[in-house]
Amino acid sequence: MLGRGMLKGLYVTLRHMAQSYVKGPRRFPRRYVPGGKLERGEPDVEGMFTLQYPFERYEMFPRFRGVLCHLRDEQGQPRCTACMNCERACPHGVISIVAEGKGKQRRPKSYTYNLARCIFCRLCVESCPFDAIEMSREYEVTSFSDNLVLNLEDLLAIGDRSGIKHSGEAWKEPEPGDGQDVGAEGSAGAGSNNG
Amino acid sequence: MEFLDVLPLMIMQWVRTQLDMIMPVWGAEAIVAVIKIILLLAVGIAPVIAFTWAERKTLARAQDRFGPNVAGPYGLVVAFADAIKILTKEDVTPAAADSIVFRLAPGLILVPALLVLAVVPFGRGMVAADLNVGILYAVAMGSVTVLGVLSASWSSRNKYSLVSAFRSLAQLVSYEVPMAFALLAVVLASGSLSTVRIVEAQVVPFAISMPLAALIYFLSSLAEANRSPFDMLESESEIVAGLNLEYSGMRFAMFYIAEYLHIFLVAALTTTLFLGGYKGPLLPGWVWFFGKSLLVVFVVLWIRTTWPRIRLDYLLDFAWKFLVPLGMANLVLVAIAYRLASNPYLAAGLSLVGNLVILLLAGGILVLVARRSQSRRLRAVVLGEA
Repeated sequence: MLGRGMLKGLYVTLRHMAQSYVKGPRRFPRRYVPGGKLERGEPDVEGMFTLQYPFERYEMFPRFRGVLCHLRDEQGQPRCTACMNCERACPHGVISIVAEGKGKQRRPKSYTYNLARCIFCRLCVESCPFDAIEMSREYEVTSFSDNLVLNLEDLLAIGDRSGIKHSGEAWKEPEPGDGQDVGAEGSAGAGSNNG
Repeated sequence: MEFLDVLPLMIMQWVRTQLDMIMPVWGAEAIVAVIKIILLLAVGIAPVIAFTWAERKTLARAQDRFGPNVAGPYGLVVAFADAIKILTKEDVTPAAADSIVFRLAPGLILVPALLVLAVVPFGRGMVAADLNVGILYAVAMGSVTVLGVLSASWSSRNKYSLVSAFRSLAQLVSYEVPMAFALLAVVLASGSLSTVRIVEAQVVPFAISMPLAALIYFLSSLAEANRSPFDMLESESEIVAGLNLEYSGMRFAMFYIAEYLHIFLVAALTTTLFLGGYKGPLLPGWVWFFGKSLLVVFVVLWIRTTWPRIRLDYLLDFAWKFLVPLGMANLVLVAIAYRLASNPYLAAGLSLVGNLVILLLAGGILVLVARRSQSRRLRAVVLGEA
């Protein structure tokens, strides 16, 4: 029939209008996904799929490269030994370390991370032999101050928030026959460096 | 319900008697006229506020989005946020522009649209001026808009605006012809050019007795109002919003208001001429009028979300080769039907049957022509060949 395609189009838009009210996690009268946390990658989701950002956030995938963070050992001390590997590995001079102490006591006197220059390449993490740093999943780093330099305390706080125990745990290959997904946070025994 | 129906009129009457007691007749006349004008402006501007919200919301829902939902409950006050944004912008007049015409043009587009409101019957007896040539007046005011569009585009001294002017002239002038044929059918059937008497003549709404005329009128008034799919003169993707291009601030806001006012006018006139206007059971007349108008507005927005813009030559083809012959056939048929039958129901029935016959004939002719045609496009559109 002549004009059938146009009517079909009208039907499709009308159906979507109606579906946006009755289907999906944001169906009327609910405005946001419960808890505000949203899994990524749902191709078959029906109803409205727009992320309403400040009220809803995506759960970032495990290998997401966000702000750098420092990790603690079993005693709760920073694992960093101020070996300067990350400082050397960084292509942009984001990290600068001042060391203090000798031998086993060697630790960073100051560790500054200039967020404004970081390109999130993860070379610092890959160069670290002590399992001391990792890229967290945090990405909301805007601030009203123009000082985006984070020190060791800030980085440790981010590490504590992130729940990451060991660097590279999200990069670990799954065990053969192990049906579990890779990189769930806190998977015990993933002690190896960047796998 | 009778009471609610005439309540606005009674209030107006009361105001008039109060005024008559304290001042001479001419003073009371003048004040009543001013009150009517203010009411009309309110009725003209209120839909603009509502439709900016409604259009975004409809589009958003059709695209599985929320649309505005932050400014106020359900984003209802988004139009006011828009207004503040637009009014605080700098008002720029390009150095090369013809500044007098450039400044007058938004008014030339907005004012005729507001003037048409005068002949729209919003309810029983609720019409600002029951002109005996109301339809002619509405069409004439619609044509004045062309002048506004042309002067806005020409005076901007901008290539894209100029392209927009050429397109708009071709389009607006072409679509007035099928529109006139549809209106003539209505005028023949109701025996009057007055909007009020046309509403009263609709024992059966004309949309039922002559669906063809209603369709032709609706489509060509979409073209007159520059709505999708006929929004050639401000197609953002090709000529970067055409005639709006050089306008900013308050003057742009006037284009904006005019655009939404035109949607309301399309809806109001379609309601008045084809959907039985303020007539309807139970509810007060003005409720019926606005209800029907909102339905038409929804259809306009629905079409906007769905159909892509038509290319200019297809657009003109559609007007001259399709709508005009159909309109002519419909006019002849309506003339015969309403002459043969004195009973309005019988006439409506005859007219409806005739309309369907015309549609079938037109479809058949199209298929026959397409089968014999060498034109790939025609074959693809009519016969569905790839």
